[in-house]
Amino acid sequence: MKLTRRMTLAAFAGMLALGTAAPAYAADLIAIITPSHDNPFFKAEAVGAEAKAKELGYEALVLVHDDDANKQSELIDTAIGRGAKAIILDNAGADATVAAVQKAKDAGVPSFLIDREINATGVAVAQIVSNNYQGAQLGAQEFVKLMGEKGNFVELVGKESDTNAGIRSKGYHDVIDDYPDLKMVAQQSANWSQTEAYSKMESILQANPDIKGVISGNDTMAMGAYAALAAAGRKDVIVVGFDGSNDVRDSIASGGIKATVLQPAYAQAQMAVEQANDFIKNKKSPAEEKQLMDCVLINGDNAAKLETFALTN
Amino acid sequence: MLNKLPWPTVAWPILAAPMLAVAVGISLTACKILPTPSGENDGKAPAFNADKMVGDIWAAKVVPYLQQKAGPFPEVHALAKADPAAAGAKYGNPKKQANSPWTFAVRLEGKVVTANTQSRAATMDIDADGDGKADARVQIGPAMRGTALRDSLDFIQFNDFTNQIDFAQFGKAFNIYADRTVLSKLPREALEGRSVRVVGAYAMGSGQDLPLVAPAEAEIGPKP
Repeated sequence: MKLTRRMTLAAFAGMLALGTAAPAYAADLIAIITPSHDNPFFKAEAVGAEAKAKELGYEALVLVHDDDANKQSELIDTAIGRGAKAIILDNAGADATVAAVQKAKDAGVPSFLIDREINATGVAVAQIVSNNYQGAQLGAQEFVKLMGEKGNFVELVGKESDTNAGIRSKGYHDVIDDYPDLKMVAQQSANWSQTEAYSKMESILQANPDIKGVISGNDTMAMGAYAALAAAGRKDVIVVGFDGSNDVRDSIASGGIKATVLQPAYAQAQMAVEQANDFIKNKKSPAEEKQLMDCVLINGDNAAKLETFALTN
Repeated sequence: MLNKLPWPTVAWPILAAPMLAVAVGISLTACKILPTPSGENDGKAPAFNADKMVGDIWAAKVVPYLQQKAGPFPEVHALAKADPAAAGAKYGNPKKQANSPWTFAVRLEGKVVTANTQSRAATMDIDADGDGKADARVQIGPAMRGTALRDSLDFIQFNDFTNQIDFAQFGKAFNIYADRTVLSKLPREALEGRSVRVVGAYAMGSGQDLPLVAPAEAEIGPKP
């Protein structure tokens, strides 16, 4: 532990040195911390937040925690050490994050959470999240319709530490379980990962060749599942995702995946930066800490209007 | 934090026992156990009981609130199309989430034009203005969609819930309660032409064709 701590301290001191070495006229800093940009959803968040921060005259520090709560805690230390005026955070765990955000608050750095909630209020200034339950219901209703209210299906669930994995699964089941002729033959977590979804789907398909549909907790897993189904010559299987990525949009357009649910990731990140700006400049908190943004069903009818997690008119 | 310490593998058998004891000791004193249901412990009953909460307020608060707040459907719908904010102020929940659509309390009376009882999310299309064409779609279960009943109530706040999961369960509990106490008692055969009276709620933009009304009270008249 001593060794780890010493290394952290050294890194921290290095950051401080960098921070103090910055010229005196440097703009105020906003730290933007998200999961890995490998998933275009998180990239869109970071890009949206960074663009808005720069537009409002801030310098942006963009960091990724790779869904590792320890790494997230270190990045929060970095943000505090660099004198960030606010932290925009898509967090690494509903319980594990509470202490990290409290630490920032104690150091006078307000946090504005996006995408994922934490299991505490009064610690972050804002928690702006997609209405995952409403979105999951939209996706599930479309799935039920596409399935003709009957048949065997598979559910791919996201990472367990993420509240959104549970809430989407719950939203799906609150709709699907009302149809007794829809039978879930397998339910597995692929941890939001495309490659993991591919390999899980391969083995699920071997054990259950009679499946008619796959409902997935996000788009990257839906992409992985569809690729595995296509490779096995099973393009007939109905796949529905969640997020509204450009990849799934293109798949819908070419008759692959059937539907997804758009989360307004880009707009959400921008809204968080606007609220941070209001807090920094006017000491004004949003009316409510927890704010829900509704999701939109994307299928063949409107997929063409989708671009980087936003619908164009 | 504790499970990532770089202990040398050789020392593991000697160190494992005391380390485990330390780890357990720390985790017990340092962690607070939150009554939040996760995907893992679905089997255990959490302290939060959405069905009971809805049962406790349904007759005392929910139905009286909707009865008092509801406007006649044609009026509500016309105002919602012309001026959503004005309709929201009059028939909606002013404490709704800023980014959510308005949910209106409505009183709907009319005749059944068509009914879809093939789907488990069964519905009746209702003509409310006497022109023979359907104006609204009423859900008659057993599967009910959306969270219109929950979202129409100004005394329910998302911020009062631990997280979206609890809030979602609470929304679903309204639909279950309405189905059990109201919708399951409705007739399902030969609905066309019958008169209908409903008090309920609908979210603006819900339903692709017609406003989708979730009933808290519903009556269907005799066959014509």
